[in-house]
Amino acid sequence: MTLIAHFLASEVMRSALLPALLIAVTTASISVMILAHRLSFLVVGVSHASLAGLGLAVVLALPLLPTVTVVAIAVAWLLIPSTSGKLRLNNDAGTGLLFAGAMALGIVLLSTTSRYQVDLFGWLFGNILTISHGDVIWLYVAAAVVLGSLLLAARAWWAIAFDATAAAASGVPVSAYRFMLHGIVALAVILCVKLAGIVLTTGLMVLPAACAWFWGRSLGALWAISLGISVGGTLVGLLVSYAYNWPSGATVVLTLCVLFALSAAGAWLKQAGRQRRQRA
Amino acid sequence: MTSPVLRLSGVSVGPAQAPILQDIDLELAAGHFLGIVGPNGAGKSTLLSVIAGLIEPAEGGVALFGQPLRRLNRHQLLQQVGFLSQMHDDLPSLPLNVRHVVAMGTPRYAAPLWRRHASPDDVRWALEQVDSVDLIDRDFRQLSGGQRQRVRLAKALISRPRLLLLDEPSAALDTSAQERLYRLLRRLCDEQAMAVVMVEHDIAAITGYVDSVACLNRRVHYHAMKGEQIPEDIWHAMYGEHMHVIAHDSRCIGCVPGAASGHRH
Repeated sequence: MTLIAHFLASEVMRSALLPALLIAVTTASISVMILAHRLSFLVVGVSHASLAGLGLAVVLALPLLPTVTVVAIAVAWLLIPSTSGKLRLNNDAGTGLLFAGAMALGIVLLSTTSRYQVDLFGWLFGNILTISHGDVIWLYVAAAVVLGSLLLAARAWWAIAFDATAAAASGVPVSAYRFMLHGIVALAVILCVKLAGIVLTTGLMVLPAACAWFWGRSLGALWAISLGISVGGTLVGLLVSYAYNWPSGATVVLTLCVLFALSAAGAWLKQAGRQRRQRA
Repeated sequence: MTSPVLRLSGVSVGPAQAPILQDIDLELAAGHFLGIVGPNGAGKSTLLSVIAGLIEPAEGGVALFGQPLRRLNRHQLLQQVGFLSQMHDDLPSLPLNVRHVVAMGTPRYAAPLWRRHASPDDVRWALEQVDSVDLIDRDFRQLSGGQRQRVRLAKALISRPRLLLLDEPSAALDTSAQERLYRLLRRLCDEQAMAVVMVEHDIAAITGYVDSVACLNRRVHYHAMKGEQIPEDIWHAMYGEHMHVIAHDSRCIGCVPGAASGHRH
């Protein structure tokens, strides 16, 4: 209890709490779609490509987050699966190319500037505690866009994930929705990079829904469980990081990993129990 | 006289020198059950995709319910068409109850979250049509192939389509499940005046249920009405010379009683 009181008394933690929770809600919501459409590769590719956006922004003296976002969305659209049979990058090759290439481009661009304007370590590994006022406003706008799109299109995306052919045959504009989904995932990834950093973004974008996958049996249930896991994991993670003075983003992701392991174990026990009952 | 549910006139797909489908004319009235048979690669699935509005023909036109299928009326026309594509193995990766899978079949499902979609009554009705109400709370991923196929059919039926397209629906089914499926389709045609186009490769299995059979291999080689024998030269034109046509009768084990048909071996 004293720990929580100390935690809430800390100015740094108090100002970090609301943005962190907003990120948790946003990533948990979109993570359901990421898992349903198997877009983990996109999260990895786009989060690494963000370094190229960062390099561009610094070299050309452009505003940081908007530039990174535009680059990320452009990259995400490159990775939309081809439906027309025209030449497009295959997902594996595309991710590899972006993973290595964009990151290398970012490093080279950043090395050409002598000024150390960018906290490169923070970008790679994330630090929610250094979030600035301007960042917070940007975060609110981006989160509103992501959550608003989900309200609009979640069921259509869900139907496409289940059976894209049937969705198209019932008149759903599948490729338009795919475009939208990839753009929104890219936006959410950039949102997340600030908390977890490039390296740990995938965890925050995939783990909540991965936990929910064990328990939920409908879109609504998956969403709710995913939200609970994500918000709970963020709170516990921040608390632990405060108590032991660990890096915040990494602690949050480790907490989510523990929750995932618990979910997996619980699901396994439940299934084993059911099998035993059936045999009896 | 009402306009036909489906009319294809001079439909060709693919490049002119090597067309996938060539000069297809087809007309379908309400309540008609059409079976399409043909060898692998004959363009059967492509033909269904053309009717379902997924592929635009290079030449010719598709008319649904008396209206030519265009970009502008596509959405409205396709809402009255149910489409059961070939079953993929990687399909059931989403954790979903059967009731949610069936509810996805309504065109309203893709609307924003604050709008209502299928009512529980609609879902129940659709599952009743395929004798699967007992599956309503089951996890779709844990169903057998036959159960899954019936649920997918309920998903296609929930919007009460006037035209139903099926691409090899019996691929995952054993013989008795297959017969139940065909009987169900026959009943939908008779009772609800639904028109059905079904692609199958086993002509012997379907002849007892369909109203007519179209033999497709790039072109429609023959369109046989119920009870009509398909000439042997048509079979050779479609499948090549190394094929024997054996006429079955009701004494033959495994045949549908009353079906006089060609069975390819």
